[in-house]
Amino acid sequence: MTAVYEVEKLVITIRGVTVARDVGFRIQQGECVALAGASGSGKSQCCLAPFGLSPGVASGSAWLLGKDLVGLEERRLRAIRGRDVGFVFQQPLTALTPHLTIGRQLSEAWQQAGAPRPTRAELAEALARVGLDRPGERLEQFPHRLSGGQRQRVMIAAAIAHRPKLLIADEPTTALDAAIRADILGLLSRLRAEEGLAMLLVSHDLAALADHADQVVVLNDGRVEESGDARTVMATPSRPYSRALIAASPRLDSPRAPLPPVGAPLIEARGIHVSFPRPGWRRGRVEAVAGADIHVAEGEALALVGGSGSGKSTLARAIARLGPIDRGDVRWRGRPLPARQAMPPAARRGIQPVFQDPVASLDPRWRVRDIIAEPLRHLRPELDGARRAARVAAALEEVGLDPALADRRPATLSGGQAQRVAIARALVSDPEMLLLDEATSALDVLVAGRVLDLLESLQRSRRLALLFITHDLAVARRLCHRIAVLDQGKIVEEGPAERLITAPAHAATRKLVAASH
Amino acid sequence: MGPLLLRRLLTALPTLAAVIILSFLLMRVAPGGPFDGERALDPATRAALMHAYGLDLPLPEQIGRYLWRLLHGDFGPSLVYRDFTVTDLVAQGLPVSLRLGGFALLLALILGIAMGLFAAARAGGRTDHALMLGATLLTALPTFVTGPVLVLLLGLWAGWLPVSGWGDGDPAHLALPVLALALPVAGAIAKLSRAGLATALGQDHVRTARARGLGPVTVLLRHALRPALVPVASYVGPAAAGLLTGAVVIETLFALPGLGRYFVQGALNRDYPLVLGVVILYAGLIILFNLIADLLYGWLDPRMRG
Repeated sequence: MTAVYEVEKLVITIRGVTVARDVGFRIQQGECVALAGASGSGKSQCCLAPFGLSPGVASGSAWLLGKDLVGLEERRLRAIRGRDVGFVFQQPLTALTPHLTIGRQLSEAWQQAGAPRPTRAELAEALARVGLDRPGERLEQFPHRLSGGQRQRVMIAAAIAHRPKLLIADEPTTALDAAIRADILGLLSRLRAEEGLAMLLVSHDLAALADHADQVVVLNDGRVEESGDARTVMATPSRPYSRALIAASPRLDSPRAPLPPVGAPLIEARGIHVSFPRPGWRRGRVEAVAGADIHVAEGEALALVGGSGSGKSTLARAIARLGPIDRGDVRWRGRPLPARQAMPPAARRGIQPVFQDPVASLDPRWRVRDIIAEPLRHLRPELDGARRAARVAAALEEVGLDPALADRRPATLSGGQAQRVAIARALVSDPEMLLLDEATSALDVLVAGRVLDLLESLQRSRRLALLFITHDLAVARRLCHRIAVLDQGKIVEEGPAERLITAPAHAATRKLVAASH
Repeated sequence: MGPLLLRRLLTALPTLAAVIILSFLLMRVAPGGPFDGERALDPATRAALMHAYGLDLPLPEQIGRYLWRLLHGDFGPSLVYRDFTVTDLVAQGLPVSLRLGGFALLLALILGIAMGLFAAARAGGRTDHALMLGATLLTALPTFVTGPVLVLLLGLWAGWLPVSGWGDGDPAHLALPVLALALPVAGAIAKLSRAGLATALGQDHVRTARARGLGPVTVLLRHALRPALVPVASYVGPAAAGLLTGAVVIETLFALPGLGRYFVQGALNRDYPLVLGVVILYAGLIILFNLIADLLYGWLDPRMRG
């Protein structure tokens, strides 16, 4: 049996820089091959460049249905893209055209290989097939009305609407909530079986690939590290890089080190309510947090877990006096914490935040040393310049950064370095609690793993309390004593991490647990 | 859409009232008056005139009376063009200015967006650079330069088009002024749409469209153009109000009986009601076109509807 898609000795260069070399794999009908690797490993380039969808230039060979794509002119590639291949991209938020309705885009995809214009019923059926509710109504909606998961379902419906032979899914779940990821991968597997599609799946989440891919190709820095049967590679990786990649995404059953002991109560919040005006031209307010109680003790780590929009960030920011609050009582070491506007700078020293996007949370025009020193200037005004500099140097060392980075600006740092700078900035004023708002979600797997290592060691060496916001239960379990699950602004379940994961009581918790296996 | 329209209309009224009162006061603060000429009038005649037009009343009362008459659709008499009301004058000039400005706006949009599209389709190439250089030149050249040059080329040398006058609305008479008025606006639109397209073409949804095997023209027109026109809409809104209410320079150059001259002459002669009438018209159009621009945003990019 001949392969649907076969790549041999593929080399890809972008403006003279080689981003992939000697990559090879073959996909039979109905089979799924996964390209795995950290970001920058060249996996996306390997699947897009041969089809002319990236600035990369391919050489070697890429046989699709017996025709070599390498060296074909754009006009021919265009015809092949329209007829034989379907694509699902990473960002469902931006991958759909904002000003065209779902129906028009699906109809365009339906006709891309020359099929006659579909009827409304056919379009609605295509949407129902990918698991969208109220498909008839969706046809008239614009993409921004749909959630990330729903948009990705639309992308998938559009990618297979013209009945391609090959489906290329480039990180289809990376931008989605953990709970939805499993659904989307399951949907892709089901459609692959039903349609007899050959599928090329790109992901950095090696663990999740085990259930969905037949073969896996592990890429590192543009080269194939190892490849073979997906389950075998996952169970017994032969290369250190593959092992690191697998270890970097923690599982609910991976061993965990004992957590540091817990001291006296530090922060207690009761009856927190936060609401926002409805967006757009509509009236009224939405309740983002509807009466939540949480407490954290010295040296204790509490995870706030929930899907996007569950109110976890809003709640954490409200009690740290960084965001709005309607009502509720917050006590710090038993004393009421002043309101946001009335907060004296010194009172802010206790809780310091670290946010999700490290690059966006550092001022691009400042040098690293000034960024880290800024909290000291406000929170510890008694320190003179020399003492400040010493503390900045110590903070850099504590987060594992070269002191030479102090003169750099954020744009020249990698994502992991930038997040370490943000952590150093949070630590420099000696806080007692860190507020970590999805602090590792925007980072590459390997880098995120190392940042988690750093947080774990800080937790021990400084006896820091952590308020850890995440959508990933496995990450929460690694660092946190207790987990609180939020759903629609309410804490629906709370308890010791291990118990909550082994015996979840609430439906929202069970869904999160299921998504993490 | 309903709530937006309602909210805009509600804010439009106080805005207009503020514009009217401010212009009213500013005109009075300016030295001179409607009856100052080469030769001073004798005090008795002057007082009689002031009394006849109610200019001897206290200012607040004058404003009150003016607003009250406005509510009844009466813009008052012109103080300089005797026997004409402001409504008469505007009714004469507005149709000319509307046609001139309307056609110029249309031409500028077609020309500008076409230039932007061609440049974006050939991004980085020679066509792109040539078109963008042309657009910069068009924006930089004032109409009192392009106007006479066009007259010279197309009117006097080639002899294709009449060079001046209204010709009782003959389209040929309108061709040169419309072209001269449209060119700088077209240049600005070309640059804005080119920049908008450059952003739009780099976005993920364009890659999705290309992944469907669509040709470059379809990708450009169906998937990239609409979001790219958002900056054009915010520029064209206020610009349109300016074009429609009379282009003084062009109307003077081509001897067109439009509204522009009333703007200038009214202000120079301290013809208070005339100036106020034209200002109200202009402000009303600005408000209207900004509303249209806001509605356009919602069509160009539905995300802006919230």
